[in-house]
Amino acid sequence: MSRRIHPAVVPAQPFQLTARETFDGPIFETEEGKHRLEAALSRYPTKQAALLPMLGFVQSVKGWIEPADMVEVAEALDLTPAYVHSIATFYTMYNKHPVGRHFVQVCTNISCHLNRAEEVLHRFLAETGTREGEVSADGEFTVIEAECLGACGFATVVQVNDRYLEDVTPDCVPEIVENLRGTRNGGPDAGGDA
Amino acid sequence: MAENGAKATVTLEIDGVEVTVPSGTRVIEAAEHVGVVVPRYCYHPGIPTRPAQCRMCLVEVEGRPKLEPSCTLQAADDMVVNTASDTARTARQSVIEFLLVNHPLDCPICDAAGQCMLQDYAYVTNQLESRVDEPKRIMGRDRISDDILYFADRCVICTRCVRFMRDVAEDDSLIVAQRGDKAYIDTFPGRELDNPFQGNIVDVCPVGALVHEDFVFKARSWDMDAAASVCPGCPTGCNVTIDTKENQIVRVKPRHNAAVNSWWMCDYGRKHLVMTNRGVRAELPLIRAGGGDGDGGELRPVDWATALDWVAEKIGTLGAPGGSAVVSPDASNENLFYLRTLLDRLGVGDADFRVPQGETAELPTVPTLKLRADRAANAIGAGFFGGRSVDGPPNGSAGGALVVLDDELEGAGEDFGASADFFLYLGTRLPGAARNADAVLPIATFAEMDGTFTNFEGRVQRFHQALRPPGLARPAWMVLSRVLARLGDGEAVDDVRGAFERMAAQAPAFAGLTWDGIGLKGAPAAGSAAEAAGVAGSAEAGA
Amino acid sequence: MSFPHGSDLETTTRLSRHQGEAEARTLEGWRARGGYEALRRSLDMSPAEITEVVKASGLRGRGGAGFPTGLKWSFMPKDDGKPHYLCCNADESEPGAFKDREVIRWTPHLLIEGCLIASRAIGAEHAYIYVRGEFFEETQVLNAAVVEAYENGLAGEGILGSSWSCDVTIHAGAGAYIAGEETGLMNSLMGNRAEPWAKPPFPAQAGAFGMPTTVNNVETLAAVPMILENGADWYRQWGSEESPGTKLWSCSGHLVRPGNYEFALGLPLSDIIFDACGGTPSGKPVKAVIPGGSSTAFLTGDELDCATTYEGLAEAGSALGTASPIVMDEDTDIVAAMRRIAQFYAHESCGQCVQCREGTSWVVRILQRIEAGDGRPADIDTLYELCEQMTGRTICVLADSVVFPLESSLDKFRADYEARMKPTLVAAG
Repeated sequence: MSRRIHPAVVPAQPFQLTARETFDGPIFETEEGKHRLEAALSRYPTKQAALLPMLGFVQSVKGWIEPADMVEVAEALDLTPAYVHSIATFYTMYNKHPVGRHFVQVCTNISCHLNRAEEVLHRFLAETGTREGEVSADGEFTVIEAECLGACGFATVVQVNDRYLEDVTPDCVPEIVENLRGTRNGGPDAGGDA
Repeated sequence: MAENGAKATVTLEIDGVEVTVPSGTRVIEAAEHVGVVVPRYCYHPGIPTRPAQCRMCLVEVEGRPKLEPSCTLQAADDMVVNTASDTARTARQSVIEFLLVNHPLDCPICDAAGQCMLQDYAYVTNQLESRVDEPKRIMGRDRISDDILYFADRCVICTRCVRFMRDVAEDDSLIVAQRGDKAYIDTFPGRELDNPFQGNIVDVCPVGALVHEDFVFKARSWDMDAAASVCPGCPTGCNVTIDTKENQIVRVKPRHNAAVNSWWMCDYGRKHLVMTNRGVRAELPLIRAGGGDGDGGELRPVDWATALDWVAEKIGTLGAPGGSAVVSPDASNENLFYLRTLLDRLGVGDADFRVPQGETAELPTVPTLKLRADRAANAIGAGFFGGRSVDGPPNGSAGGALVVLDDELEGAGEDFGASADFFLYLGTRLPGAARNADAVLPIATFAEMDGTFTNFEGRVQRFHQALRPPGLARPAWMVLSRVLARLGDGEAVDDVRGAFERMAAQAPAFAGLTWDGIGLKGAPAAGSAAEAAGVAGSAEAGA
Repeated sequence: MSFPHGSDLETTTRLSRHQGEAEARTLEGWRARGGYEALRRSLDMSPAEITEVVKASGLRGRGGAGFPTGLKWSFMPKDDGKPHYLCCNADESEPGAFKDREVIRWTPHLLIEGCLIASRAIGAEHAYIYVRGEFFEETQVLNAAVVEAYENGLAGEGILGSSWSCDVTIHAGAGAYIAGEETGLMNSLMGNRAEPWAKPPFPAQAGAFGMPTTVNNVETLAAVPMILENGADWYRQWGSEESPGTKLWSCSGHLVRPGNYEFALGLPLSDIIFDACGGTPSGKPVKAVIPGGSSTAFLTGDELDCATTYEGLAEAGSALGTASPIVMDEDTDIVAAMRRIAQFYAHESCGQCVQCREGTSWVVRILQRIEAGDGRPADIDTLYELCEQMTGRTICVLADSVVFPLESSLDKFRADYEARMKPTLVAAG
């Protein structure tokens, strides 16, 4: 299977927290940024339609979206910063505040709720020593309660950065947290088997 | 029913009354034709987009299983609409109850109280008690612009303000942030609105969520008086309502006029009008008549009869005709007419007027509404009455008679009017340059009297008295009609109808117009005269 | 991960037959399984013929509403000279449903093939696959398949050597359940807030980018290739007259073997829950089942004999919805479960309509209070009243979606609510 990315296709981005440094400065002036923007624009009849893809791209390289990024995206797409702000705050996946290296989202929706999800959530908070939504002192973790992640048959479902951890019970939380602590970013070995 | 193509009209029944409306009319508008105002929040006749999201205007339509939003529902032949059925009423009632889940009951300190569409509907639907036991969501207050505050807790998220900015002003800088019951109106973080028409978002707000900062806590709606007026800020002549309290202008709002300003006005006009409160006014007639033996000496205050007698006498004894005049392009048509009548008698030709210039601003979707460069209400009217637009300081060095109508004589020298045989100053204020006047007659501002302006395209528009004039100040037309009457020219008039009638009879531009006929929406001046006067202002005025 | 499933109940794995086979993800593997043959066949058919077959098959939309797919396609204007679009709704977010995710991550080419055939039927020049943002791995798999399709002449210009062209683009969502509502989805695709709009305009008149658009669910589109290949009658050998074919079932909650299954439509719900999924892990009786995802009405443990068809579940007072039974055993706290469901809808309300924006969060606050033991008897009446006022009043059905489980839970488990009420003083006498 070809590894080359088809120029006309906008691929989803891995959660590249380590790439933060390389994107210090205007994102859409980097080669990667230009390429993403161009590719996205080629896929839609309007410029505005590239808004979600571009916000997703910014978040994938920075981990969160700050106001300055919204201004950049707005300029790239001929939108007002206010409009981008409206969109960025509507969708919950865009982090408007920095998050820890491991962004842990515990689904507590109905099927997970029936499978002790609240306990899983509290266990994560206890193990990471954080309150919901805050970044742990060492910058490693942010834990939040999430709405349905769409894997209800494998409750409790926990999303760590881009990966789903399935069938999580309160008892496996310490090990997951321990494994995550040992990895530099949410890479393929980021703890727990999916 | 005709089947072929688009029909011009449709006929439907609303609350038992048959009504015929143009095709494409929405039910909410059709209902107004039969006197039914369907309650609404998100619908605003001046905003083109209709998201149908407040769900307040739901009505029952025979044969349809669900209630329909009347703001988007097109009227159709044989449609039977019931705006007040039990289902429709209950639905409306529930919207109010839902809104009150989070809306604070801070009516006692809310500036919208008394004019609030939530308060009104809560009374109408008789919901004076709430079943909501839960604590309310608290969001707080934000600044939207340098002069507009946003009380988020009061907001009903009708998005009228957002849509005014986006769809009418085409300035996408006001948005809904977040979603669900956490949604609120916002600008980009750290930025404020900066649009010359943004004040309109306060007017469209159906509740007290958006408030002008200079109005906060200033007046309760029931303590205010309102007068229909016209904004004097520029020749556009936006129709406005002036709200006053204790003889002060506290608020100005646009008044709908499809031919002029639609539903809107600019912020410059709004602020300019409120500024007319400021300043020290001329309140008493002053004449330079000596202690007992005649003229000379200091200006001294007298009553009107004395002043008018004296002025008439002085005019009667003037020698050769001729002289000069300086008039304000903000003077009303009636004032200018009476002044012209007097100037003709004095043999004075052109009356100089000066039009200050300023920035322009356009409201993209309303071509007729524009803040024009000329900062004068009635340059066109001044043109009708022998006005001549000039630049630079006023000329007051000629001999003969010198008459000034409410020009504050900025730039005039110390000797302005010193060489005139008779210097008559009619003004709302008493500037230093009037020091050489032989008589000062205190007159009312436009807000203190009834009258008309002629706007940039020759539309004659009525304004009505909003304030009592201070002291003995009176409308200039009233004053001048008395001077003329004493000179044997016509009658003294006491009400604006009389003044307008005489003007219409004598001035070609106003031929055929009547005070009542103009109504509250104005009427075009007689065509040829309007065109002839098109050159009166700067080129911009006619643009 | 629980594929492939063992089951004591006969499954009818047609659509899902290659799920769990890693090679099926590649084009080569997919072709070896007969992939893209239906697409090839569709190129020899007119759009109307394709639509006819799908109409005849009786395939109904699998996103929840069950609208006949062929009929929906036939609403698209013909020869109007405008660009048409297909939107594949892969924003799977209904609590309880997780079937589309499996289709995408195991058989991405099946979905692409379905999208292309549907695009051909409706004259679409571009198929957008709107995948929920959280499905990152699924998007990666799908993306690799789209790249392969482009590189092998299966997407883009001149598909399979024909003169027909159609682009396929994956559009990642960003966390909004309401983007799964079709007009919300199109708004989101266009870079707007995923706010549903009031119809008209209907998508087939003016949808995405103002152009005629059809929105179809992943499972719907994935069913199209096999229907085209085997014919409408073949598909109708399963299910009932009104609910033909097979259906993926996402089973979750208190089950021994939760997961996805494919069954012919029409089996008794109890068979799925007990035979296929093994009943409750605790061995205790089933107290309640929400059969079609969290926005359908509760059934009690005694109401599980109903047939799993659109009409069967409707008769039982609930709905097939996304065919995602959420099973609750005897120990389940219905008030807490309902509160959790309501919380979801309050969180996901877009905030346009007052009834939904204020109503959903009001319901949550009342339920939280009852759950905390501070309820009052009047609360139940209030909740009923709210149910009435939140039904059929709004632009989309998100508010209705909380009403179905709420009202049915009040009807069927009133005692659970009452047991949580604060004791009140009873007047003497």
